[in-house]
Amino acid sequence: MKIIIVGDGKVGFTLAEHLSQEEHNVTVIDTNDDALRRASESLDVMCVKGNGASISALKESGAGSADVLIAATSLDEVNMVCCLTAKRLGAKFTIARVRNVEYAMELSSMKQELGIDMAINPENATAVEISRLLRFPNAANIETFCRGRVELISFRVREGDFLAGQPLSAQTGKIRELAMLVCAVEREDGKVIIPDGSFVPHAGDRLYLVGQPSGLTAFFHLLGRHTPKLHSAFIIGGGRVAHYLTAILLKLGMRVKIVERKPERCRLLSDMLPHALIIQGDGTDQELLEEENASASDAFIALTDRDEDNIIISLYAMQQGVKKVVAKSNRQNYTGIAHAAGLDSVISPKLITASQILQVVRGMQNSKGSVMNALYKICDGHAEALEFIANETTHNQGIPLKDLRLKKGILIAVLVHKGQIIIPDGSSSITAGDTVILISRNHGILDLNDIYEDSLLDLGAAQ
Amino acid sequence: MNFRLVFKVTGKALMVEAVSMLIPLLVSLIYQEDPTPFLFTIPLVMIIGFLLSLLPSNDHFFPREGFFSVALIWLLMGAFGALPFYFSGFFPTYIDCFFEAVSGFTTTGASILTAVEPLPRGILFWRSFIHWLGGMGVLILTIALLPSLGARTLHLMKAESPGPVVSKLVPKSSQSSKILYGIYCGLTAIEVIALRIAGMPWYDSIVHSFATAGTGGFSTRNISVAAYGSPAIEIIITIFMLLFSVNFSLYFLLLCGKVKQVLQSDELRFFLIVVFASIVLISINIWDFYPTGGESIRHAAFQVGSIISTTGFASTDFNLWPEFSRVLLVLLMFIGACAGSTGGAIKCSRVLLLGRCIKREIRQVIHPRAVNVVKLDGRVVEESALRSVHIFFSAYILITLGATLLVSIDNYSFGTTFTAVVSCIGNIGPGLELVGPMGNYALFSGFSKLVLSLCMIVGRLEVLPILVLFSGNAWKRS
Repeated sequence: MKIIIVGDGKVGFTLAEHLSQEEHNVTVIDTNDDALRRASESLDVMCVKGNGASISALKESGAGSADVLIAATSLDEVNMVCCLTAKRLGAKFTIARVRNVEYAMELSSMKQELGIDMAINPENATAVEISRLLRFPNAANIETFCRGRVELISFRVREGDFLAGQPLSAQTGKIRELAMLVCAVEREDGKVIIPDGSFVPHAGDRLYLVGQPSGLTAFFHLLGRHTPKLHSAFIIGGGRVAHYLTAILLKLGMRVKIVERKPERCRLLSDMLPHALIIQGDGTDQELLEEENASASDAFIALTDRDEDNIIISLYAMQQGVKKVVAKSNRQNYTGIAHAAGLDSVISPKLITASQILQVVRGMQNSKGSVMNALYKICDGHAEALEFIANETTHNQGIPLKDLRLKKGILIAVLVHKGQIIIPDGSSSITAGDTVILISRNHGILDLNDIYEDSLLDLGAAQ
Repeated sequence: MNFRLVFKVTGKALMVEAVSMLIPLLVSLIYQEDPTPFLFTIPLVMIIGFLLSLLPSNDHFFPREGFFSVALIWLLMGAFGALPFYFSGFFPTYIDCFFEAVSGFTTTGASILTAVEPLPRGILFWRSFIHWLGGMGVLILTIALLPSLGARTLHLMKAESPGPVVSKLVPKSSQSSKILYGIYCGLTAIEVIALRIAGMPWYDSIVHSFATAGTGGFSTRNISVAAYGSPAIEIIITIFMLLFSVNFSLYFLLLCGKVKQVLQSDELRFFLIVVFASIVLISINIWDFYPTGGESIRHAAFQVGSIISTTGFASTDFNLWPEFSRVLLVLLMFIGACAGSTGGAIKCSRVLLLGRCIKREIRQVIHPRAVNVVKLDGRVVEESALRSVHIFFSAYILITLGATLLVSIDNYSFGTTFTAVVSCIGNIGPGLELVGPMGNYALFSGFSKLVLSLCMIVGRLEVLPILVLFSGNAWKRS
């Protein structure tokens, strides 16, 4: 597909990186020479210098024949004008990053007028992601499938957990009856394994579980790591993410404290969020944190605009014994360091935005074959979790899984058949209309039929 | 330096070279000649390339790996491309074969052969075919054929493509390479047919088209194109030499219907002005040399086209021309073709930018606080790009001077020594006096031949890659 990305910032670059790796023809437009040079040196994309909202720059990059245009500059207005112009020139699908709350609310009614087919609000998306983590405090990160009916969570095995040291197949019946499955493992040395029954978990492994939320909750009960519902949250930094997040948390009935440095911002926040407690001060100051008794809150979320500060104060909060700590970090290279220090929940608005857009683009790509509903990168990007809906084009329908030849590194984790969630065994089979959730170590699975090992036998069966 | 990956890429390029040798092998078989030179070389290069390409490696590929592998690949291409010449037995030493192969790949066209005609047709075909391969770039072909080299192939393209700024035609580099090769093949095919219609035999027209397309200059005759004595052939070759020295992305723009943008290209205008002015000046200067004025213009145009496109064919012995014409031709050897073409030397766009920088500097002296930008095609040229133009120019001149000193050990006249170096580093072929269009490079010592071979690669890869290869820092692992 021909894709144009306007704005080569953090999100634009990440998108260009992933989309060009997936063999799309990507053109990047930006006004900044340095940003363009970086993109042209490390990515296989074409760079055009110019203002993305101007007709000449859009024409030069071929917006008229583009399949997708993504406007990801820092200015909402530019993004909107860009989508409007591109749509008039003939672009088929436009995506705009719109972060201003006022625009975001009017967007649904303005979609037709402005020609924006989809709007992404990075801050809101991040806030939703964090709130999900707080609702499920055991897990380091959570992805949802099938409109939230199936969840994928990860957690780290500790010394003394009953899981450690014996094969998965040797677990008691109680565990095996639960509607969940260990679907991927990330070893401490970074090795990624798709486990089978003979797999032996060790302390320090990060396990990815997929299943019904109730099954996962029950599993954590058995593991003795069930934490009761969180009641209070302590947020450092009162930016947009904090605003959205507080609104969500207040609705969930949590008590929220926000520490923000700028007095004007504090006043604004206290106006808009009357039920939250707004504290003016430096959130990186330990004295202030002690004074406000940050260690007594159930959750601690660091959302300042400095990645370093977020990670350091999160580590401090962890040390103080806060149950759930979340740090925002846009820079990927800090994630590894944070994981090593035991800080599991590091979220990146950039990646969240990019992965939302990627899902939409990928979904458009295979309108002919089976529909991909979701794609998540797990294990630091070394594996993918995907959700497909099987339809008439899907091969090998009705054949038991044990008789199928799947490609290496692919696991069919969950089948949703007529609304019923099934953890498949060898006798289950795929039928049209089923939702199929798979884990894959290969990249580039874009259609359900991509999971089968190609052989003459299978081709015969398909016809 | 990620040596494993560098060797892996090198292996892939060598495999492409081995496969490309199948074509001259076929020619040998068609003309019922001894195919052993190719039968020995192909399996050898294939096996070495295959073993190298099997090396396991990560994909950390940065500019230094790009530059390093391009330089290494070009040296090895020359070394292995020389093997068929060596096995054929027509060349005195391996150094001569290396010189000939490097001269072929770098599209120089300087030869150490005193007589070309007795050579088997398969060997002569290989000699011109490597012009064609080297003209557009062996690595660009490798990228077009093997897109699996990954996203960072731009570093390879950058190191191999001529010109100060590398622009892609379309977002994917493998697709860009395919488009370039498509245009290249198309133009070559048109020339083959045109030459055939003008009366050249099929074999000669194919060989000469390869040599023109790559702006190389190897011919199948001792006295080059002059041997045919046909004005039609000379005019066709003049036109195609000029066509192949224009930036290929302009052809892509033409195919897309953007005629206006092509006509507004500063470099193209500059190139055409230089060509036209040189033809007029030389025609006036040599008016009395030939029986008719038309003939003078024809020869002036052919020689100017041949030198500025850095091809190096000759339709007459221009070494006998008056001094003014000879010096003008030597100056054209420095300017060379447009960026993004198959030609060599400094390139029109760099000369143009240097001129504009000088103009800016003069304005700066008169108005010290003025802020001036240098523009090309109406776009501001970045300071970093200008800096690289300056560096390129200085290094080019310094290397020319240094190499002249080294070659002067052989004790030939200044004219011979200097124009031999200028001609080799500019990838042209003929110089003046002893290395003139009717002379050859056989007279030089082995050492000088190696120096000149290196000059050719330095000129073809635009200086930096070779300097990177020879810098001590590049060889360190970390």
